[in-house]
Amino acid sequence: MQDKPHRSQEQEFSEERSSLWRITFGPLVWAVHFVASYAATAAFCAKWPEPETHIDLLRLGVGLATLVALAAIGWLGWLAWRQWDFLDDHDYAHADGNSEDRHEFLGHAAFLLAVVSFIGVVYSGLPALFAGSCR
Amino acid sequence: MGRRYSSAAAFSMAGALAACDGPQSALRTGGVDAAQLAQLFWVMLAGAVVLWLLVNGLFLYVTRIKTRSLSRKWAEALIIGGGIVFPTIVLGALLAYGLTMMPDQRAPGDGLRVRITGEQWWWRVEYWPEGAETPVISANELRLPAGLRSEIELTSAEVIHSFWVPGLGGKTDMFPGRPTRMSLEPTEPGSYRGQCAEFCGASHALMAMQAVVMEPAAFDAWLAKEAAPASLPEGPGRDLFFREGCGACHSLRGTEAAGAVGPDLTHLGGRSSLAAGILPMTSEALARWIFDPASIKPEAHMPAYSHLSDAELASLAGWLEQLQ
Repeated sequence: MQDKPHRSQEQEFSEERSSLWRITFGPLVWAVHFVASYAATAAFCAKWPEPETHIDLLRLGVGLATLVALAAIGWLGWLAWRQWDFLDDHDYAHADGNSEDRHEFLGHAAFLLAVVSFIGVVYSGLPALFAGSCR
Repeated sequence: MGRRYSSAAAFSMAGALAACDGPQSALRTGGVDAAQLAQLFWVMLAGAVVLWLLVNGLFLYVTRIKTRSLSRKWAEALIIGGGIVFPTIVLGALLAYGLTMMPDQRAPGDGLRVRITGEQWWWRVEYWPEGAETPVISANELRLPAGLRSEIELTSAEVIHSFWVPGLGGKTDMFPGRPTRMSLEPTEPGSYRGQCAEFCGASHALMAMQAVVMEPAAFDAWLAKEAAPASLPEGPGRDLFFREGCGACHSLRGTEAAGAVGPDLTHLGGRSSLAAGILPMTSEALARWIFDPASIKPEAHMPAYSHLSDAELASLAGWLEQLQ
């Protein structure tokens, strides 16, 4: 009897601990994509600046990295959307300190961060599509 | 009351329109690059006007015309649609539009390279025609051939400056020790005014330049003349120039005056302005400048020659003006 609440609390705590990390994954993918594409472009354009040699290789690389990042963020966003469980109770506010509210709040936050990260990745990937040059 | 307002509005409108037509206006475009930027400006202005009307129209609608409260569903749709989806799409479209412009703005030049160094508070200008091994050195005036794209290399001597001739193109910063580049393709022969666009010290606001766009044949003739050594008229002005040691800082190509601290004076009288675009090229202005540069351009590094008599100043200035 004494053991049970203790164990469930621990379970809940471990679950929230992992999902606290999980809300950072969307922005993390965005950051990795941003650093990787800027670093790759800088190195590439320093090596082959003027004649537009191999530029399609760079565009393809950044394009692929963008698609992978978007897929990853989309998947994280889907997980977060399910954790928020909005369609179940249409709950925007998670003001009560119970475990369901904590659970849904973290899903809600992770979902919104995934949306921001998705837009960020699209914007930082656009130069590969529209500028298409080291200039 | 209404009349006073309307005349004030007309006055500010006239002021605003007059500003659009001046030699330093980004909207009086004399080249491909500035025309592209002006188009970007008009597109964004039109978009901003539409958005302003929409937002204020909506505001008027919900506060004066239909004041009942919105259902939660519609309110959420308005916030998510108007606050997130719509701006994301508009900003994405503007970003794509701007990005397609960037390669054109930085396209490589057709042959002529001009290297401009920002100094406190003037511009060192070197022309490198295609295949040249030494530059043609000038200062405080940029001449470019119309219809050709010229490569502009930018750097700075001590502090950060920014090179900007609004009528010809966008601005690019100039850093000590880190060259930057841009290119300009002017199309309309004429005179444009440039201005340092990054605060660079006491006389930043007085660091301007004339940019002169010429027909290519006229440009080539001008450059050949500019490359020639100085032809020095005889006279007391010449003796004063060498006696006062002007050549320690200034060059007159082909003479012992070979200083590189200040602007090259080989063809000074041929420039359209003096002291980086702030004085007319007249002997009176030259005399005023030599008498006390810092009174015209605060903290200018050139020392004052206030010990010279008025007659000496006049003959030196008159002689300098003849260095065509």
